[in-house]
Formats: sequence, structure tokens, C-alpha cells
Amino acid sequence: MTLRARLFAVVGLVVAVSVTLVTITISAAARRSFEALDRQRTSALLAQFRREFALQGDDVARRIDRLAASDALQRTALDIGRRGDYAPFAGEASSMAAAQGLDFVDLVAGDGTIISSAEWPARFGYRHRWAGSPRAGSGAFLQAIELPGETALGLVAVRQVSSGPRTLYIGGGRRLDQQFLRALTLPDGMRALLYRNVEPEVSRQQLVDASGQAPPAAPLDPLIARVRQTGQESADTIEWADGPETVDAIPLTGPGGDVLGVLLVASSGRELAALLSRIRWSGIGFGALGVIVGAALSYAAATQVTRPVEQVADAAGRIAGGDWDVRVGDVDASREIGALARAFDTMAVQLVDQRDRLVQAERVAAWRELARRLAHELKNPLFPLRITLDNLRRARTLPPHEFEEVLDESLTTLDTGFKSLNVVVGRFGDFAKMPAPVFEEVSPNEIVERTIQLVRAQIEAPDRPPVLITLDLDRACGSVRADPEQLGRVMQNLVLNAVDAMPKGGALTIRTLPAAAGVRIDVGDTGEGLTDEERERLFTPYYTTKQHGTGLGLAIVQSVVADHAGRVWVDSAPGRGSTFHIELPRTQADAPAGASA
Amino acid sequence: MKRFISLCLALASAAGAGAVVGAVRPQYGGTLRAEVDAAIGTPDPSSPSSDPAQDAARARIATLAFESLTAIEPDGLHPLLATAWQADPRASRWRFQVRSGVVLHDGTRLEPWQVAASLRASEPAWKVAAEDEAIVIETGEPLPDLPWVLADARHAIVVRGAGGALIGSGPFRIDRVDLSRVSFKAHEPYWRARAFVDAIQIDTGRRPEAQLADLEAGRADIVGVRAIDARRLTRRGLRVEASRPLELVALVFEPHRADDSALAWRRAFAATLNRDAMCSVVLQGEASPASSVLPGWLSGYARAIASADGPRLSASAIGALPIDQRTVVVRVDPADLVAQAIAERLAVDAREAGFTVKVQAPVGLAPRPDARLVRIAAPATTPDRALAQMAARLVVRGAPAAAAPPASAALEATYRAEQALLDRVVVVPIVHLPQLFGIGERVGAPSTAVARPAGGWSLADVWLQGGRP
Repeated sequence: MTLRARLFAVVGLVVAVSVTLVTITISAAARRSFEALDRQRTSALLAQFRREFALQGDDVARRIDRLAASDALQRTALDIGRRGDYAPFAGEASSMAAAQGLDFVDLVAGDGTIISSAEWPARFGYRHRWAGSPRAGSGAFLQAIELPGETALGLVAVRQVSSGPRTLYIGGGRRLDQQFLRALTLPDGMRALLYRNVEPEVSRQQLVDASGQAPPAAPLDPLIARVRQTGQESADTIEWADGPETVDAIPLTGPGGDVLGVLLVASSGRELAALLSRIRWSGIGFGALGVIVGAALSYAAATQVTRPVEQVADAAGRIAGGDWDVRVGDVDASREIGALARAFDTMAVQLVDQRDRLVQAERVAAWRELARRLAHELKNPLFPLRITLDNLRRARTLPPHEFEEVLDESLTTLDTGFKSLNVVVGRFGDFAKMPAPVFEEVSPNEIVERTIQLVRAQIEAPDRPPVLITLDLDRACGSVRADPEQLGRVMQNLVLNAVDAMPKGGALTIRTLPAAAGVRIDVGDTGEGLTDEERERLFTPYYTTKQHGTGLGLAIVQSVVADHAGRVWVDSAPGRGSTFHIELPRTQADAPAGASA
Repeated sequence: MKRFISLCLALASAAGAGAVVGAVRPQYGGTLRAEVDAAIGTPDPSSPSSDPAQDAARARIATLAFESLTAIEPDGLHPLLATAWQADPRASRWRFQVRSGVVLHDGTRLEPWQVAASLRASEPAWKVAAEDEAIVIETGEPLPDLPWVLADARHAIVVRGAGGALIGSGPFRIDRVDLSRVSFKAHEPYWRARAFVDAIQIDTGRRPEAQLADLEAGRADIVGVRAIDARRLTRRGLRVEASRPLELVALVFEPHRADDSALAWRRAFAATLNRDAMCSVVLQGEASPASSVLPGWLSGYARAIASADGPRLSASAIGALPIDQRTVVVRVDPADLVAQAIAERLAVDAREAGFTVKVQAPVGLAPRPDARLVRIAAPATTPDRALAQMAARLVVRGAPAAAAPPASAALEATYRAEQALLDRVVVVPIVHLPQLFGIGERVGAPSTAVARPAGGWSLADVWLQGGRP
């Protein structure tokens, strides 16, 4: 990771962590505030519910008192006592309920038989379940009221009416339903639900809100079931699709303590959720902004620090590429980086100096090697010439016909010797006068095949050890831009070198194949192989491992390949043969930078 | 001064006494306003109809203008347009002496051939011919109750005049027939005596609630009343008159509940019904508990019918039944509040026993019920005919045996057929209902009742207070 990236990461992380911490802190504070507010609102609503419950109960009790004291009921009680027949009075309760604005009114005989029922007229004659002496005279209480198609929850009161020996009971009240819920003043974000616990299992049909509709209540079921079972208040947070809601459930009990209903006070957490969402998104926004600003600042700071370093690195790269005149002394940098730049420039000056000295030494060494090789090459043909001249000098004393014979022999020897000298001089001249390549489209495979065709007779001569030639030419190689004459000479040198490396015979393998930059040609033998030292000096002119070599063959190979912008190298190890690799670009424009032998 | 005061008191007493006498004395004149719930279309009593309510309303109105050969009165069968009758030993050939001196609404005298033509139109299967001052009816099969059959309004004598005018011999003649009103005028030369009122105006197609309101508001003098409203009228001081029981309210199980394997279950369910409470409270004492299809006054053997109700099962025994047997859906006519009130009480009775009854009063598509609460008229005819007609109306899909008619006209055969019908407990009689009429304050009380025993009105002897003295 670069210094710039590291600096960017650190600044971004610091900004993000800071914003996150601030966001979490604000969110927690907001949540605590909302929860406290919720508790206050729920308590206020519960107090309002209890107050309303008491008011309604008082009102119901007052109305039942009025009914019990009414002349009409007293007269009815007298008539019932006189007739002993309840049938004519079956409709009494309905008119009483209508007169008092009550939902339920039941006229019940002393033995508990229903004389008249406003809410369920057809139920006359059967036993009444809740209007009896134990509750007569007491205040209003909660009661499950059976109706034709349902069981309702009612706030009812019971009074006794005595007329002579007969005793009647009148009971009645109002439904505890959505009308009751509507009487509650609900703050924004709150709602009250009433669950009527009149079925053996939790039933959503029994849940109503102020609108009288049964809201979707599946998530409320566990809470209701818990309150039903324990008879204790409980609370849950319900996750609805549009946000959370805190629900407090309060049991509503009857005179016997049994849970007849559950009041659910729900406080929406949607505002809190919205606020938290706003805080979260603000945090994300500020965090993102902080990261961007931090990135810009860190980039600027990093640029101040890294630019001189990059200049030094660039200068080092250019020196490595051969540009020895590069200097970074004018870099605008701090003290440490400036010292680094100055040290770099000193190093570059020293490197140039040492390189010049090295070139000079190498040049001297090359001349010495050339002189040594030239002396060695010339010494061999000169020795027979000197002997011949000595023979001629001695032959002046011989008879003429013998002198003529010696002269002829000597002239022949001199001619041969001069020719040898001429060959040596020619070879050195050829190397010195390597012509510039003439590029054209050539097929490497054709070059290889033509070379083998030229040298096959020489390789397979009867006095030569057997060499197995294997060509593995990939037709996908296509063509390259090259000088066919020079490339042929390269192949010829490599093939003959390989054959020479196998004095006891072996296998010669030539392979062509597509390469990343163009085409590769491999020439392998199964000879003795090369030592590390031999491999290092292999392409040095006039270096040879053969007794009669000039040491120019591979130097010519390297020179030609370099002129074609290619490269040549060898893989070899003692006892495992050698393989020479040549890689040529398809065109000279494709040549990789710095390609060399 | 004391004399003066005594004189004033005497005059005031005399004036008060005169007013009381005026209130009870019959008076001529005035238009009596009546209302019926069905639309009658035509007052022709022999006109075919598929609506029982329309049949009943038409029969009620027809008796004002058209008379039969016989009439059913509270004390039995009486001659009307016939003065005497006799039958051959097989009771398949009858001779009815036609009353002479009867003046029709068009002023002509009623002739026997007109009577014969009218009966041939209403009963094409009979051979009816006029002989001197009599008619001869050949029924083909023995019909010992023919005089009772002829009392039915369907067999009222209708003479068809020019242009299809309907001419009768009753106390009132048809004056005008509109879409929702039929007007009558008193038939001056009525053979008994001219009616007290000058005219009768009958509004048709009035809903029961509207009739009740009109009667209470004094806008109508005679209206049809539902049993559930009877006590309301009597408490207001209005009279309610009833015919004999002419309707049966019964529970009829649907085919999927009517097979023999469910017989014990049906008996147990039927045993939960408290018919007395229904009659005394729901129907306000204006109905009678029914254990038979035919009302007792019609068959005479109703008390001999053995109840098919099974023993009452305990709540625990019912609770042990499969849930589908404990729940019963009973369908009632959504427009029939009487049937709904009965069904609600039925539901309470069954619920107290451990069943769950859902009363279904659908106005559209509804799930298949287990039973229906049906209300059918008991025709005032011979028991075998009445049972056959009622059983035919009790026919339910998949239970044809429930509607098997009597094998013969013999009363014993009718009894056996009815008992067999009830033994399967597919049909459970609940109550018999009469026709109830609310009588307005203007209507003077005659010695005879306004409501005829077999349905319809008897308005010839009714007068209106404030009518022409």
C-alpha cells in the first residue's frame, strides 16, 4: 500500500469512527427521550381510561337506578306478581333500554329466569347468568354479555326491585367497544385497542380499535395470550411493516377477578424510528463528506510528501534505463527528502564515473583479447610459412632439379598458408563489417527448414557421428519482419554449434512457437552442456570452447538478433545439453524496450 | 243555583249517553280502508298464481265480491249460494240446489248454468251441468268432502261478462282495479242485506310495517298484522282478530341431513324446541304449538299424532357429538320477520341444549344450510287435499318420501300419511299461525267477527263510526 493510500485510509477511518460515535450518542439520547415520553403518554392514557371507565360506570349505575325506581317498572313488577305469567312482559326490556339509552337491559325474576331481555329478546325463560342478588346494589362492573351472534363486553349494574312477595332484578349497561375507545382522547402516534376475552383461544375477531375494525393483529397475539394467562400487565414492542410500536397491555377483570378483556395502549415508534433514521442518514452524510474532505486533504498532504520521493524513484528508473545524466537536485522537498535527493545525485555522479572507468577497462581488455586471438590465429599459418622459407633458403644449395621440386612444394605451401591467413583476416573483417539487415516478411519455419536442408548433408556425412534431427515447427507462428540471409546465418551457426557439441552423436531438436512478443525459436542439443562460466562468456566475441573455433559465431548470432530487436539466451547445465532460445518480434515496432542479447 | 247545576249535569249526562249509543249503533256510509301486503294483480279467485301470499290476499279480497256455494263459519259449514246438497252413495255425483233470487252485480239474477260454467272453469276435471234450479257435479272419484272443498275462495262463483268483466254476487262489487289499489262499492240489491259501508278501498303491496303504521296513525281501518306485533296493537287499545290457524311454520332438514342415519340426531335436535315459549312470548299468544302438519281444526286428529321428537340429550351428550353435528345452519326468509323471530328462539333453545345454531337470512348467495324454516299455508279444504298440498310444498330435494300424499281420501289414510311424514323427522312442525287483522278505531264492532275462520274478511256487517247515520 502506498503512503498516499495509507494516509487516505487513516484519515477516512478517523472521520468515519468519529461520525459513527457521534451518531450513536445522539441516537441513544433521542431513544431515551422518546421512551420517557412514551411512558408519560401511556400513563396519561391509562389514567384517562380509568377515569372514563369510572364515569361510564357511574352513569350506567345511575340509569339502572332510575329504571329500578320508575313507576313503569314498579307497575310491571306488580302485574307480574298478580298474573304470574311472564309472557306479556317479554318486550319490556327493549323499551326500557331505548328510554335510558342503554345497550343491555334484562328483567330477571327472583329465581333467575329471564323475563325480558333487550339485547337478546329470544332468550326469555332461560336462566340469567349475571344479574342476581350478589351484585344487586353494587356499582357497575365489567361483564361478558351473551348476544345472539357474539359475546360482548359490557359495563353493567344490577338493581333489585321488590313488589310484594315477588322480587325482580333489573340489570343493564353499555357495551365496552369502539364507542368507548372513541371517548378517549388519544395523542398523536398513540392508539387504543380493546380485546374482548370471550373466546377460549385468542381470536383476532375480538380485537377492535376506535374505528370498530379489527386491525391486523397477528404480532399482538403473544402479548394478548400472556396477559390472558397471567392476568398481569405486560408490554411488547411490535415490529410492523411501517415501523415499530410499543404496546402496553392491561388486563380488564370482572368481579371475580377473571380477565374479561385486555386494553392495548399502543405508542408508535415510527417517529422515533424516523428520527433515528434521519440521524443515521445525517451521520452517513456527514461521514461521507468528512471522508471526501479528508481524502482531499490527505491527498494534498501526501502529495507534498510523496512527490519528491516519486521524482527520486523516477530518476533512479531513468538511470537504470541508461539515462545517466538525470539529477534530482532541484526537487522541492522537506529537509529529509532534500537530503535524500542530494545523496541520490552524488550517487548518480559516482555511478557515471565508475561506469566510464569500467568501459575504459573493458575496452582495454577487449583489445587485449583481440590481439591475443589475432596473434593466435595468425601464428598457426605463419609457422609453416617460416619453415617453407627456411627450406627454400636451404634448397639454394641443392641441384637445380631438386631445387625446382622444393620450390614447387614451397610455393604450394606458401599459397596455402596465405590463403589461411586470408581466411582469418576475412573472418575478422566480416565480423567488423556486419551489414545492416534488410527486413522483409519471412517465415521462421521456412528459415529453419532451409537451414536444415543446407546442413543436412554435412551433418549426416559418413564420417560424422549420428545425429537425430527433430523439427517441431508450429504453423501458427506466422511470419516476422527479418533479414532472411542474416537469420539463416544465425540458424546455421546455432545448428552447427549444436552438432559440434555432440561429438559422439545425439539428438538435435529445433522448435518454433508463438511467443508473447512474436516468435521463439529453440535449438537444443544433447551434448555435454555448459558450465556457468561458459554460459556467462558464451556470447563474448572470440570466446570459444572449440579447438578450431574463432569465437565469432555466437557473437554474430547475438549481433544479428540484436539488430532484429530480439533477444537470445541459453539454458544449459553440464551433462544435460544446451538449448539456445531466440525470440524475435513480428515487426520491429513490436520489439520490447531494452530488448537485447 | 243548585237546580241549574243539576239541570246542566242532567243535560250533559244525556248528551254523553247519546254519544255512547251513537258509537255502538250500526251506521251506513263511509269508505273502509284496508291494506294487504301482496300485490294481487287481478281479483279473479280462479286465476293461477305461484305466490302463496298473493293467493291469500286475492282470496281475502275475492270473498268481498264473489261467493261460493258453501262457507265455513266458526260453527262449521254453512250454505251460501247453495241452499241444499245431496250426493250419491259413492259421493262422486253431487247435486247442489242453487239459491234463487240472488242478484248479480250487473243487476241480473244468478242462474244455475252460470254457476256450472264458473265451476267448470275453476275445476276442469269435474263434469258440471245445470239441472233446473240446481247443478250436478260429477267428480269422477269419490269426494265426500266436496261441500268443504267448494267453500274455498278458488271455487267462488264468478260470472264473466262482456269484455271479461268479473261479476259476482257478493256484498260488494268491483269498482276499479289499479296497480296498487282495488276499490269496491256496496252491492245495493245484495241478497242478504246491503253492507253498511258505501265503499271499500284496498291498498295492495303494502309492507307489514307500513300497514301497522297506517293503522296506528288512523290512515287504515283494517290491516294484516304479524303475530310479533299483536301485543303492540292491543296495548294501544286496538282490536286484533284472528282466523283459525291457517299457516304452518316447520323446520325442514336439507337432503344431506335427511337420511335415516341421522334420524336419532334429528330427533334430539327437535326435542330442544320449546314451542310453548315461542307461542306465548315470541308470537305473543297468537299462535298454537304444532306437533302436526295439519291444524287440529282441519284434520281433527292433531292430538292423536305421536310426537316424533326424541328424548332430550344432556349437554354433555350433545357436546360429545362431532362438531358438524353440533352446528346447525338454519335458513329463513330474510323478508319474514316472524320466521326470523321463531328461528332466533329456536337457536336459543338449541344453544341451551348444547347445539350451535346459526340463523341464516341470506339476500344473496350463502353457504348450504342444514335446515330451512318454512312457512306454508294450510288450505281450508279437505284434510287429504290440504295434506297433499302442504306436503308438496314441503318437498325438499332428495327427500321425496317426505312429501308422500295420502293413499286415499279416507281420514285414517290421511292420518297415517301425516304420521309417516312426521316419523322421519325431516319435517318438524313448530307452530300453527292464524291470519291476524288489526282493526282500526273507526270500525264498529259487529256481532260477527271481521276475520273469517278460514281466512279473509267478513265486511258486510261492518260499519264505520262517523259514517252516514
